[in-house]
Amino acid sequence: MSTLLTCDSLSMRFGGLVALNQLSLAVSAGEILGLIGPNGSGKTTFFNVITGIYQASEGRVDYLGHDLARMRAQDIYRAGVTRTFQRSRLCLPLSIFDNLMIGNHRRLNHSLWFNLVRRSAFRAQFEEQYAQALALVRTFSQSLAERLFEAAGSVNMIDRRRIEICRALISQPTLLLLDEPSAGMTHEETRELMDDILIVREHMPGLAIIIIEHEMNVIERITERCIVLNYGQKICEGPYAQVAADRQVQEAYLGTE
Amino acid sequence: MAGVTVFAVLFLHAESQEEVMGLTLGAAAALLLLARFGWNALAAVSFAGHSRTGQAAVLIGVLIIAAVFYDQHFPLLMLASVLLYIVVCLGLNLQFGYAGVLNFAGAAFFGVGCYTAAVLTSHTSLPHLAVVLIGGLMAAGIGSLLILPVLRTHGHYAALVTIAFSILFRVFLEVNDTLGGPQGMKVQGMEILGWKLNDSLAFGEIEISFYANYVVLALVMAAVAFMLVRRLERSWIGLNLDAVRLDETACAAFGIDVARWKITAFTLGNFLTGLAGSVYAMMTGFVAPNSFTFGDSLILVSIVILGGLGNPWGLSVAAAIVLMLPEKLQFIQEYRLLLYAALVILILLFRPGGLMPRQVRSYLPGWKP
Amino acid sequence: MTLGLLSQYVFNSLMLGMIYAMVAVGFTLFFGVLDIIKFSHGDVLMVGAFTGLATYLGLEALGVDSALVQLLVMTLVATLSMALLGALIAKYLVLPLRLAPPLNTLLLTLMLGTVLREAVRLFYPQGSNPKPFPRLLPADSISFGSFTLRADSVILLLAGLAAIVAVHLLINRTKLGLAIRAVAQDAETARIMGINFEFIVLLTFAIGSGMAALGGLMNGLYYNEINFGIGLLLGVIGFSAAVVGGLGNIYGAILGGFLFSALQSVGAVTLPALFPGTSTAYKDVFAFAVVIIFMVWRPTGLIAEKKSERV
Repeated sequence: MSTLLTCDSLSMRFGGLVALNQLSLAVSAGEILGLIGPNGSGKTTFFNVITGIYQASEGRVDYLGHDLARMRAQDIYRAGVTRTFQRSRLCLPLSIFDNLMIGNHRRLNHSLWFNLVRRSAFRAQFEEQYAQALALVRTFSQSLAERLFEAAGSVNMIDRRRIEICRALISQPTLLLLDEPSAGMTHEETRELMDDILIVREHMPGLAIIIIEHEMNVIERITERCIVLNYGQKICEGPYAQVAADRQVQEAYLGTE
Repeated sequence: MAGVTVFAVLFLHAESQEEVMGLTLGAAAALLLLARFGWNALAAVSFAGHSRTGQAAVLIGVLIIAAVFYDQHFPLLMLASVLLYIVVCLGLNLQFGYAGVLNFAGAAFFGVGCYTAAVLTSHTSLPHLAVVLIGGLMAAGIGSLLILPVLRTHGHYAALVTIAFSILFRVFLEVNDTLGGPQGMKVQGMEILGWKLNDSLAFGEIEISFYANYVVLALVMAAVAFMLVRRLERSWIGLNLDAVRLDETACAAFGIDVARWKITAFTLGNFLTGLAGSVYAMMTGFVAPNSFTFGDSLILVSIVILGGLGNPWGLSVAAAIVLMLPEKLQFIQEYRLLLYAALVILILLFRPGGLMPRQVRSYLPGWKP
Repeated sequence: MTLGLLSQYVFNSLMLGMIYAMVAVGFTLFFGVLDIIKFSHGDVLMVGAFTGLATYLGLEALGVDSALVQLLVMTLVATLSMALLGALIAKYLVLPLRLAPPLNTLLLTLMLGTVLREAVRLFYPQGSNPKPFPRLLPADSISFGSFTLRADSVILLLAGLAAIVAVHLLINRTKLGLAIRAVAQDAETARIMGINFEFIVLLTFAIGSGMAALGGLMNGLYYNEINFGIGLLLGVIGFSAAVVGGLGNIYGAILGGFLFSALQSVGAVTLPALFPGTSTAYKDVFAFAVVIIFMVWRPTGLIAEKKSERV
């Protein structure tokens, strides 16, 4: 498969702290890549750098001819990279549909004229988007699909996570970044969610996913390849079974004796 | 709706303190009763559902009230003031109800509109409609001087910018002799295409107070502003504004341009405030720095919070209560600031959504999934 | 301008700066522990000044006429009662809103300030008029040419300095101070380490409000007049000073206080000189305008605010 994203000696420093150290990696279109490593190893920082929330100290991130390390967050989103957050960042007072439409921003018309005056055109766009949102949420959960106009704060954790993933998916991105989707969920809920993600991928075969996870059975089940970070550096790369057997990786997690 | 109209007529009609007190308590009791049976939720839903009929009923209600008092100055002045304050509060609501941009200088921007009208009507012969427009543009323009610090800063820092401006503006008016200093300025009555709003209309025997003209004008302005704000809320733009208020990081991650929407809300809000200000100045015929204090800005903020942040209906009701109650209940007049401040504290502690909390957005009136 | 006049301006500016700094320190302390702005702070100062005045009148009525005793009792009563008021505000109005959006706390305390202001105006006997504040400090003065150094001003300046140094020592040298700093750093961790979070918050509010009461008394003794409205302007100025210095930083607040008074003096001196005919009353317009412009340049103040948001 063709390469979608290439990081070249990417570094991120906060004062004296080196959160990412000369990281290089590549992601192919349609691949699911697992990103693992102990707490504080730089996984979320990596997401924040390639989504433009942090500005990289040095290095390049090549994505379809753009250098993500030099772009603003909103332009990176427009180029088709979306994400979920480790801690839920839904707008809880807004309806589920509203939250999805926040994720759909790049496909909506935001001109004052369109929104205020051309209400029938707005109506058409609204109905079209509603149909798409409904279809997407249905692949995850029928009961959730029936509650699209209730406040996002009124649903439970797993449904909130689903909404977050739908929000990242609805604009049909080419690269999806999932930051610990299983955080705060039971094993059963995690399994359900992974089923959902696999279903989504069947619908969107070109979509590449990078997933940060601490649940190793999740990583084992859904990823094709893993990268292990420690102290901001890549210490190992390969299929899960191979990575799990690596001595350096075991030391990073368990410490040296 | 009819009930509310009758009540408003009775209220404005009531002369003695006892009558007013009785009516106020009666209304409070009725509201509690309604709340007890969950009827206010029903009313909120029906407002959302039959938006058109509801709005028409309100317009007719206001006109009926105006018709009842056709020859009395004071109730009509009151009514027009409430309508203009609604326009101002709709503007503020855009700013911090939706976009979360704090503005503690509402009265100052209102003052910009007022003083623009005062200066332009006394020194130029511009048509008055243009004056009103310029009043709005001036407020929006001066607001855009503040927008840079407001954008660069967050939360408390941004609050300081508008608070500082509010105080600065008042001091500026007081010491500036060309603007009349503490005494203020006179403002000419309004004239639109030969229609002098300060002339009383007379049909044979019946003479109508000239304030009726202003009621009509203010009603048109309030209705248009109301419609504008409602449409804005029920659109992708309203969604963007909400997102900007709730989570700027998520906004950035999904391409929502925080600066653009903050500027839109801030400028549009100040424009509405300035428009209302210039009409208000022409209606009262007089402007003075004392009407644009920080305390007045706080009253405007109270109105929006009391009504329910983000709810245009709520703020309209709150504007009517906040403005009319002290005028009619003289003994409250002296204590009104204390009363409202205490009321807002209670609301914030126990019912942060305001008297009429905002509902989840429905994009199209009456639309069901 | 003569040297004497210049020194007069500088001294005056130092005096005001001291009062501003005392208010600003309160703002910055509250922000430190709770990340909130308590806008009623200026009005607490005003209530403190009025409490002092009432105490003085009470002592007069009781026949206590030693200026020193009066001064000590006034200071004690005003400081302690405002400390109590501050703690009560924290407990019943600020802490309950901890989980609400920060805007709500700001609004609530703005409104609380209004309540305090209006309450004094309406319920203090003839509260809407300015009140004469007693001269209790020795009024001796030494003149250097056109510059007059008054003993009472020097005493006030030293007292203010002492109060600020005391708070500084309390924060940096005592166990309580360590607890306050711990809560400011990370409330959650501090709690886990066994620090009584609520107690520390209340204590901080008490200290800050006590400082405000002192500032109020100083203001009264310096101008020999107080009115119900002084709190609003002093509050906004103290807030500006804290923000210009960088919220959460005590040194920043002190620096900000003196900077603001310096700005006012510069405005008062240079505006009429640069634009003949302008009144010195523009000094506040000038000072606030500079603060607004400053915010563009340094959105989080001179000494930057701690950043804690996790994505």
